[in-house]
Amino acid sequence: MFGFPQSPQAPFTTISPGRTMSVQTTSKTVNQRSHNAQSHLSNHLITTLCTISSLILYVIASIVLTFSFHYPVYADNLFSPSFEIDMGTVNITGGSKTSTTYRLSDTVGQTAQGQFNSAGYIVKAGFQYVRELTPFTFTVSNLDLNYGSLVPGTPSLLTNILTVTTGSAYGYTVKTLEDHPLRILNGSPTIADTSCNLASTCTQTDATVWDDDARYGFGYNIQGTDVDIADFVDNTYFRPFPIQDIDPPATVMSRSGIATASAATVTYKIYIAGSQAAGTYQNNIQYIAIPSF
Amino acid sequence: MKYTKLLIPLILFLFVTLFPTDTHAASYGVSLTPPLLRVNIKPGKSITQVFTITNLNNEDKLLVARMVPFTQSDDKGNPSIDMKSSPSWLNYFSLANTYIKLGSPFTVKAKSSEQLILTLSVPANAILRDLYGTLLITTYSNVASVAYQGSQVSATIGANLLVTLHSDINPPTILKSGILPNTGAFFKVGNIYLADNITPLSFSASVKNEGNFTSETKGIFKVTGRNDTPAYLEGILPVYVISNTQRILLNTEGRNFSFSPNLSQIGFFKAVIQINSENSHTENSIDIFFFPFKIMAGLIFASIFLTVILRTNKTQKIVDKPIKTLDH
Repeated sequence: MFGFPQSPQAPFTTISPGRTMSVQTTSKTVNQRSHNAQSHLSNHLITTLCTISSLILYVIASIVLTFSFHYPVYADNLFSPSFEIDMGTVNITGGSKTSTTYRLSDTVGQTAQGQFNSAGYIVKAGFQYVRELTPFTFTVSNLDLNYGSLVPGTPSLLTNILTVTTGSAYGYTVKTLEDHPLRILNGSPTIADTSCNLASTCTQTDATVWDDDARYGFGYNIQGTDVDIADFVDNTYFRPFPIQDIDPPATVMSRSGIATASAATVTYKIYIAGSQAAGTYQNNIQYIAIPSF
Repeated sequence: MKYTKLLIPLILFLFVTLFPTDTHAASYGVSLTPPLLRVNIKPGKSITQVFTITNLNNEDKLLVARMVPFTQSDDKGNPSIDMKSSPSWLNYFSLANTYIKLGSPFTVKAKSSEQLILTLSVPANAILRDLYGTLLITTYSNVASVAYQGSQVSATIGANLLVTLHSDINPPTILKSGILPNTGAFFKVGNIYLADNITPLSFSASVKNEGNFTSETKGIFKVTGRNDTPAYLEGILPVYVISNTQRILLNTEGRNFSFSPNLSQIGFFKAVIQINSENSHTENSIDIFFFPFKIMAGLIFASIFLTVILRTNKTQKIVDKPIKTLDH
């Protein structure tokens, strides 16, 4: 594939004995002339290629020397009054300024200083970069998770859907916790929060696989938009709920930026042993959706 | 008669099947506006702000409003609310509604809104400082009333309040910024980043507020050549940085800063993060040497390749010569 075109005589210059024999059949003079011509051609080719190679290296060296120590000249000085940003005032108007070399966003409004001096306060509601003041919305599809009768050795699963729209907020988190593990009302028996499979136990902030038939408990999985899929890899990954007044709430959904109806499905799993005390087990699970500031 | 006996259960079955009683799982859907309130206030002054709660459900909702403090946030501006803490300054906040009080349940009718008139009254002798809190609106639940086996879910929505108590509108604070190349073709030698100039370079930038008062990330990201001549400018997304926290800086589209140099941009450049907020200023930069490394590498490789081929060719000829001598 690579290489250079060779003269017709080129094959005779190989060290193959058979081909050497064929050279013997040619007259010495012709052979000598042919060899000289071929040698001349090859030398010429080598010289040319060496020149090209040197030229490339020369170009490289020239570029390095030229551009490394040059003084760039720009047609336009981009420092101009149009780049001065007067922000931090109560929104009256605003807009984006873009060109091939810059992109800025600003708002223009009354001077806050004057208002602060006279009234003694300044109040800014909402965000500068989201110009319309629209509500932050949170919905939960089902607040009553009724498992009915629990069958030992058979997982009971229920789901509900969390949906968040940030509106004029720029980002959000949804956190969760429970008041206590599932327990009999006014009683001590509980269904312990899961620690998932023994091989890789889960924590309140780290989901792992929970499919071992010998591992009992209560936990949750979440799948959908704005969920940490590196943690909740698939629907076999579970976490136990953090406990109110003991643990910090755990983040289940989050986004840095505007969200429009980001939805995630939470799957709740209860798996009990035959030795679990009979009774009605209950608890309260709380979801807290808070916008970023 | 025989058919009549069959007909009655059939009619009953059809009636039950075709005209079922409507059953709704209890759900939660609430919106709250505004999601953020930034207040600069002098001690001894009061403000009121209306928060509007909308019940998006088809049934009335019993809700409860309360204020919880926070002192920390993550680098994306998500507060770490402290549900257990109840500092005395929470008493500065109250609701001016006639029938709705903080901590007491109230009803918002189905598909309707309710206004919470939040009042902040700062005592004249209040300490000059920042107060951070979140107004939480929670479904009011009474676990004891649950009759089934399982979990009752309660949902909470919040709005953040960043309050600065000071006699000056812009009490000074200390911001410190940082910038590093994030993705692209680059490597570091000493304090200089050597980067390819046909590969876009993205930067991760952050700012830390080491002072006691909230500041805002107003400023620009720029790439400058010699004599500080700008080659690229981009606005910084203006977000709040509360005291003693750090925030990631993003461009106005919510992404990392990026610069796509062109072939003519070779030599020393600076990537600069410059924040000029009302109460603080910070600037940080890194030196970058842009050079067409990829193109040069290609050319060098081509040269080496050519040289190798030529040398091979030459060697071949030297090997051939003695064989021809033997022929004579």
